[in-house]
Amino acid sequence: MTASVRYEAVQPGPIGERFAVIDYDGANKTFYQPVDLNDPRLLIRGGLAPSEADPRFHQQMVYAVASETLQRFEFALGRRIHWRGTKRSASADPVPRGASRCLNLFPHAMCQANAFYSPDAHGILFGYFRASRSNPGSNLPGQTVFTCLSHDIIAHETTHAIVDGIRSFFTEPTNIDVPAFHEAFADLAALFSHFSHKEFLLDTLEKTGGRLFDSHLKPELAISAGSTGAGIQAQIGKANPLVALATQFGEAVGLRGALRSALGTPPNSNDINVKTEPHDRGSILVAAVFDAYFTIYIRRTADLFRIHRAGGGNLDHDDLPAPLAERLAAEASHTAEQFFVICARALDYCPPVDITFGDFLRAVLTADLDLHPNDPDGVRDALMQAFRLRGVIADGASSFSEESLFWPKVRRDALPTVDGLQFGDPNGLTKSEKDNNGDVLRAYAQKYGDLLGFDKNLGKIQALSFHPMFHMGEDGRLFVDMVAELVQTVRTPFGDAGSGTFPMRNGVTLLISQDPPQADKRPPPRIRFVIAKLHSAEREDRVRTYYASSGRAISSKIESGEVGEAGDDARFQLDFGLLHAGA
Amino acid sequence: MAPKKKSTPKVRNKTAKAPARKAGKAAKMPPRGTDTSSPSTDPSSNESARGLRVRMFRVGFGDFFLLTVPMAGGASEHVLIDCGVHAQDLGSIRDAVQQMANDCGSKLALVIMTHRHADHISGFASCSDIFSGFTVERVWMPWFEDPKNDKAMAFQASLTAIADNLSAKFAARGGSDSSMLKDMVDNITGGMAAAGGGSKNQKALDVLHRGFKNEADYDYYKAGDQPILPKSLTDAGLSAQILGPPIDPKLISQMTKVNQQYLSDEIETDDEVVRPFPKAFCTDKNGYPSDAFRIYDDQTIIHLIDGAQPDVLAARAKAADNTLNNQSLVVLFSFRGRHLLFAGDAQWGNWENFLYGGAYGTPGHTELTKNAQSILGKIDFYKVGHHGSANATPKDAVAAMRLGCVGMCSTQIHAYNQVPREPLLDALRGRMEGQLARSDQVATQGTKAEKTAGELPDQFKVPATGELFIDYEFN
Repeated sequence: MTASVRYEAVQPGPIGERFAVIDYDGANKTFYQPVDLNDPRLLIRGGLAPSEADPRFHQQMVYAVASETLQRFEFALGRRIHWRGTKRSASADPVPRGASRCLNLFPHAMCQANAFYSPDAHGILFGYFRASRSNPGSNLPGQTVFTCLSHDIIAHETTHAIVDGIRSFFTEPTNIDVPAFHEAFADLAALFSHFSHKEFLLDTLEKTGGRLFDSHLKPELAISAGSTGAGIQAQIGKANPLVALATQFGEAVGLRGALRSALGTPPNSNDINVKTEPHDRGSILVAAVFDAYFTIYIRRTADLFRIHRAGGGNLDHDDLPAPLAERLAAEASHTAEQFFVICARALDYCPPVDITFGDFLRAVLTADLDLHPNDPDGVRDALMQAFRLRGVIADGASSFSEESLFWPKVRRDALPTVDGLQFGDPNGLTKSEKDNNGDVLRAYAQKYGDLLGFDKNLGKIQALSFHPMFHMGEDGRLFVDMVAELVQTVRTPFGDAGSGTFPMRNGVTLLISQDPPQADKRPPPRIRFVIAKLHSAEREDRVRTYYASSGRAISSKIESGEVGEAGDDARFQLDFGLLHAGA
Repeated sequence: MAPKKKSTPKVRNKTAKAPARKAGKAAKMPPRGTDTSSPSTDPSSNESARGLRVRMFRVGFGDFFLLTVPMAGGASEHVLIDCGVHAQDLGSIRDAVQQMANDCGSKLALVIMTHRHADHISGFASCSDIFSGFTVERVWMPWFEDPKNDKAMAFQASLTAIADNLSAKFAARGGSDSSMLKDMVDNITGGMAAAGGGSKNQKALDVLHRGFKNEADYDYYKAGDQPILPKSLTDAGLSAQILGPPIDPKLISQMTKVNQQYLSDEIETDDEVVRPFPKAFCTDKNGYPSDAFRIYDDQTIIHLIDGAQPDVLAARAKAADNTLNNQSLVVLFSFRGRHLLFAGDAQWGNWENFLYGGAYGTPGHTELTKNAQSILGKIDFYKVGHHGSANATPKDAVAAMRLGCVGMCSTQIHAYNQVPREPLLDALRGRMEGQLARSDQVATQGTKAEKTAGELPDQFKVPATGELFIDYEFN
């Protein structure tokens, strides 16, 4: 496949503006030669040809797929994305300048069947390993497998970094859904970007007779009646690669078959109560969104199938004609693009802390309604039903209907306007505009915190982030918004449940609109949504108990007096390395 | 660390709004003394339970409990719950088993093995000669031990294989952290037997399965099963409920999948260093433009990459340990209105199901279930789970226990970090009005009582010799 990414001047590495590929191998303690994409010999061929044996191809691959993923998100969100530029915890080392602009990629960081985003190293570490000799799956026994050569793994890990840049408190597992959400969202992004490549889809469509969602492909050759089984490889039916993420990776670590197969089991509403492992739990969310995706795909292609049948076609024993496959692939990839955008945009409508699947459902629905009030194919309904079937319910929603699941809109004039906020233009804010906005938001929180639902007595309210967004509506109108996060951190004691204190975070996400000028005057920016996770004794208790139950409450450093009551916050951070490890 | 949180009343905002969840109201932590589920709610509790006794032997870091049930006519029957020691072995287990054999005439009505960790079963192996003289009527084990269940057996076999593999790796790695982790995984297998092959735990399991004088009846239980008690015990008035482990047989295939994911046995792939590329591709920092190091310089990058490699082995060891602890058989005994809860080493995952009816924190599962409240609200005796470690007795469980129940905790300091967990024991003492005994509060031949453990509370007794075990007698 070919990945096309925006042109930028790159130095050998490749080292560009947003990504620096640095090929240091921690297991062999060496750097590998960087690829020079400006080399005329590479330019003329459109980059290095695929090769497992040349680390420079790996570097090129990592750079291209990560850039492609980032651009997809920037397109969907209508703004530039920053990497995490804030410290993980009070006791952590300061983040160096420029970190929010550029992320490091380490294509061969370790000899381990693992690849993960590491906020500490401000980058993504990809491992390589020898495939199992006894159970290698579709790899050769003992073959070296590179995680940095999997499109899905690169997209998945890049998404973790992107989410961490947008919602930096989602790495604090304050409830059982938080780690699962990080996983599920990264899977969704990887899967939808996979699905939006038509060339991946065509082959699968032909082998499933257009039924993209079948978990098994028809073998290339039918097995004749009376024979005992497949005689040649073309007769072996395979698992559908589109519903299995990163199969090469999964098989090589001995997992047999699909690593995170999202579909293939009938939905039930009990899994949500019993699945606690982050990937398992995340797969519920992935399955829900994919259920909706396939439903919409079926709706949108029903006419094509009918036309085909009207012409005498029967897909049960005929091959899918190439033009029909082409049209189906176009529809599937278009729908995948749309779902990717819906999911990505939902990030801006999530509360800043303590996310649950129910919050995500509300964010998805609200974000989509906000931009596309018309929903002719019933995308929102499909999503809602898919979540309902899997028992995902939203806290505080009185019924499972659109009205009660959307985040409530702030009535006009119910909150004071945010005077002085500057929206800049679609290409970003200047330093002075940023400084101004920070001041405006802090002052607003200070003055009107109570109206937003904060208890100001509990502590200072921080303006964590603010990003202007520019979206074109269906009618061509330009919407100018700002998404801002206000967060209050309260050090709360564990009492006898653990050591020292934990940071209890209360926060709101604000969506602030700049309306078009009226009567020759630009109206002051008004708040349209307040998406809140505020303090309550019940929530405090829930977070405390969850930390205790997940073994994060006890710190030997604090117990031994090595550090103070608030000195060991690293324990409240997700370790992506262990989440992804075969461990 | 003062337990001042205790007095903070829990405010459950939601219960006020949602009338459908009235059950939640009762979950409010009741103010002390006004516990709604006090023992007086059980009509039979006025009857005397004289003769009912729990004996805790001191063997080191391990469980060894004997429950004695009085029979009509002055005789009594005995139930053995675990017999093992792993870390901090005090060398007293042989004396203890001999003592038990003498006291009960080598006759046990029931043997319960809560789970197959060495610190709960090693005694069956090291004292197999004494046990071979025992008559045992029934044996209860967790569902995972059923030899006729292929899936359960495959699961245990893979867990054992993983533990062996990890143990070898930790041994090779050296260092004090590694040796603690090695201890942890060796607890799964018991370590290798000195001679004859097989692990020590396998030997103990063999004794449990066919090493008694007679052929016992075997039961394999999971949460919700209706257990079968020997007739003598039923006649005496004992009944039992199984509260854990929480396994739905339909989920076993799913569980083994989790097992594969989290306890992948393909460790061979991980640690062996592979040279992925020929030397010709190697370079040093000078092969890169200076902009590569604009965020972090080369030394920092080397340091960060070297430091960011997750300790996968340690995570595996902990996951394996948890998996096994959560297999623990949790048994609630009732006798003339007295209720005794033996929790094995059940950790959060096992409790969760019982306490909240599902994964904690998911909608509808943030408060204790009615059933859990009513059980915890009536208990008279609690065998503290997992030697007093923090994640083995959830805070909500402590808060729901009946005020004035008593507890026993078998433990030994310096075996693992933060076990026993003092704040947890303090919270339990608060609930038990001080009546919580620790096994290290009694001496053994050769080991003194642990000074830091404090005095033995007054409702417990030690034998005239002042050594080996602690008794709690009901009245």
